[in-house]
Amino acid sequence: MSTPAHAPAPAADPLESAPVLVGRPDDRALTESLLRPVLEPMRKGWAALLLLLLGGMGFWMLCLYRTLFVGIGVWGNNIPVAWAYDITNFVWWIGIGHAGTLISAILLLFQQKWRTSINRFAEAMTLFAVAMAGMYPIIHLGRPWLFWWLIPYPATTLVWPNFKSALPWDVFAISTYATVSFLFWYTGLIPDLATLRDAAKDRTRKVVYGILSFGWRGSARHWQHWRIGYLLLAGLSTPLVVSVHTIVSFDFAISQLPGWHTTIFPPYFVAGAIFSGFAMVLTLLIPARKAFGLEHVVTARHLENMAKVTLATGLMVAYGYAMEWFIAWYSGNPTEWFAFWNRAVGHYQLVYAAQIFCNVVVPQVLWLKRARTNVAVLFLVSILVNVGMWAERFVIIAVSLTRDFIPSSWANYSPTWVDWGLLFGSMSTFGVLFMLFLRFMPAIPISEVKELRKELEHDDHHRAAARAAGAEGA
Amino acid sequence: MTSWVLGEFGEEKALLEAARTLRAKGVAGLDLHSPYPLHGAEEALGLRRSTVPLVALVAGVIGAASGYLLQWWTVGVDWPLNVGNRPPHSPPAFIPVTFELGVLFASLAIFVGLLFAYFAFPRVHHPVFEVDAFRSASIDGLWLSAAVGPDEADGVAAELRRLGAGKVSIVPGEGTP
Repeated sequence: MSTPAHAPAPAADPLESAPVLVGRPDDRALTESLLRPVLEPMRKGWAALLLLLLGGMGFWMLCLYRTLFVGIGVWGNNIPVAWAYDITNFVWWIGIGHAGTLISAILLLFQQKWRTSINRFAEAMTLFAVAMAGMYPIIHLGRPWLFWWLIPYPATTLVWPNFKSALPWDVFAISTYATVSFLFWYTGLIPDLATLRDAAKDRTRKVVYGILSFGWRGSARHWQHWRIGYLLLAGLSTPLVVSVHTIVSFDFAISQLPGWHTTIFPPYFVAGAIFSGFAMVLTLLIPARKAFGLEHVVTARHLENMAKVTLATGLMVAYGYAMEWFIAWYSGNPTEWFAFWNRAVGHYQLVYAAQIFCNVVVPQVLWLKRARTNVAVLFLVSILVNVGMWAERFVIIAVSLTRDFIPSSWANYSPTWVDWGLLFGSMSTFGVLFMLFLRFMPAIPISEVKELRKELEHDDHHRAAARAAGAEGA
Repeated sequence: MTSWVLGEFGEEKALLEAARTLRAKGVAGLDLHSPYPLHGAEEALGLRRSTVPLVALVAGVIGAASGYLLQWWTVGVDWPLNVGNRPPHSPPAFIPVTFELGVLFASLAIFVGLLFAYFAFPRVHHPVFEVDAFRSASIDGLWLSAAVGPDEADGVAAELRRLGAGKVSIVPGEGTP
């Protein structure tokens, strides 16, 4: 599996990298190949994997049931470690979601052509990751059925949420992020749902996709408003995604706890979020492009570019780790210094070692072009980065809590089976949602790929003309 | 009563040229349909600049202002909370929610505005869908449609054929464009 089956022949010009679109298929061929996953009969492999993931989702529901009906005493949380797997999972999932917004919004604003084929995929990942993330703070409330107390409404108790605390900020940030991600995703989907409506042969699909596409006619007026609306949503999502993880990091940074109380947290959390999110896109995209035969639109170029972003954000994260140590030493604060020694050589030193190995050492392999273009290596690196980022969240959140200022209140934390079940169960549930998305929605944006092909043809034309002119000159 | 005249073109240049010609002849209710945004369509049809950005700006300002006022009034005026002896009205602490609500309102206004105001959606049925071949408009077809009075329909159809359109068809009158 050293080279993908559809890898293009090496370009004549060594400075030209792999193409973002293999060949120049016409509109009908593109539509057919991109809609095949939705319109073809159900595959046995898909059904089997979905069933397996549904099993995991069932276990997740069992764990939720235990949590809701017995109480959060079924978790390993204690005092002082009141935040453990729950908040670790929350921060990890929300961070994963951020790469989706980065790919679809920020790269759109920078007019990066390679974002086109993978943006829908990444946005879906964002939506499902945020759905998983949002679950944890709510079940962690202890009485989750009262979560609406967080919303400012005129209650008979006359009490309002405390807007000077980071936790109500979180409520607004996460709910806004989930809503805007959905709107952005759906706005992009409307033209493709219309394509699906028109390409479908059976009545059920025609009716369902007809309703979902609201009656899109591809009119010049539709496109005019759609384009500007889509661009504006991208423009709004860009600062939004930065604000969301900044606010998440405020949950820790504005407290007093050694290991949490640092000003580097907002940029360091955002970089970590993009790092883990790109790794997750790779983890999902590498098998999906193979299974659904999408190697002509998700090419070696896409994978290589994502590997480069993973490496760059990985270096930012490594800088964050180094700077935390430096400030712990430079501040001259003994409790701060102790908190960091405790991470490296304390009770949880293996988790810390995993964090450093997966997040700092492993991504360095991506300096090599041979690693970036090798699908198997990329897949392995992406899995390890996901593990490493989870370990980082755990080290920051739980390990800092085990050793605060007063030795008499120190205690260790160990997870119960419910904690593990909620972590792996949420991965299964995420997988179920993703499998359904791949089967029932166009995972590659069809209209945008057609537009991209036109732009590329235009470029081809210019390049050919320039070559001809050069030949004449010589 | 309006009749709909539809015709398919093989390539963009011919389509845009036909739109320009018909518009110059005073044919009203012209529209183009394509599977991806066409460059030059707005100019060919003489469409004005989209007002979506203005709607988004107004909604965003309303959202941010209401977010700030909400926090100022609830924890600053109605029930002043003393947390860590910070003043009841603490502008820096109110920035995150203000920003989030601004973005939320602007995004909702764009989405809802697009669907319901600009596109008049949901409209699952439309006269153009009466023509079965029109389904290619979202796959690989480039179409021109004209909503005209029933007497003009035949003339416009003949003009479309002359301009190089194929599959020219007329959907007889129904409602407004």
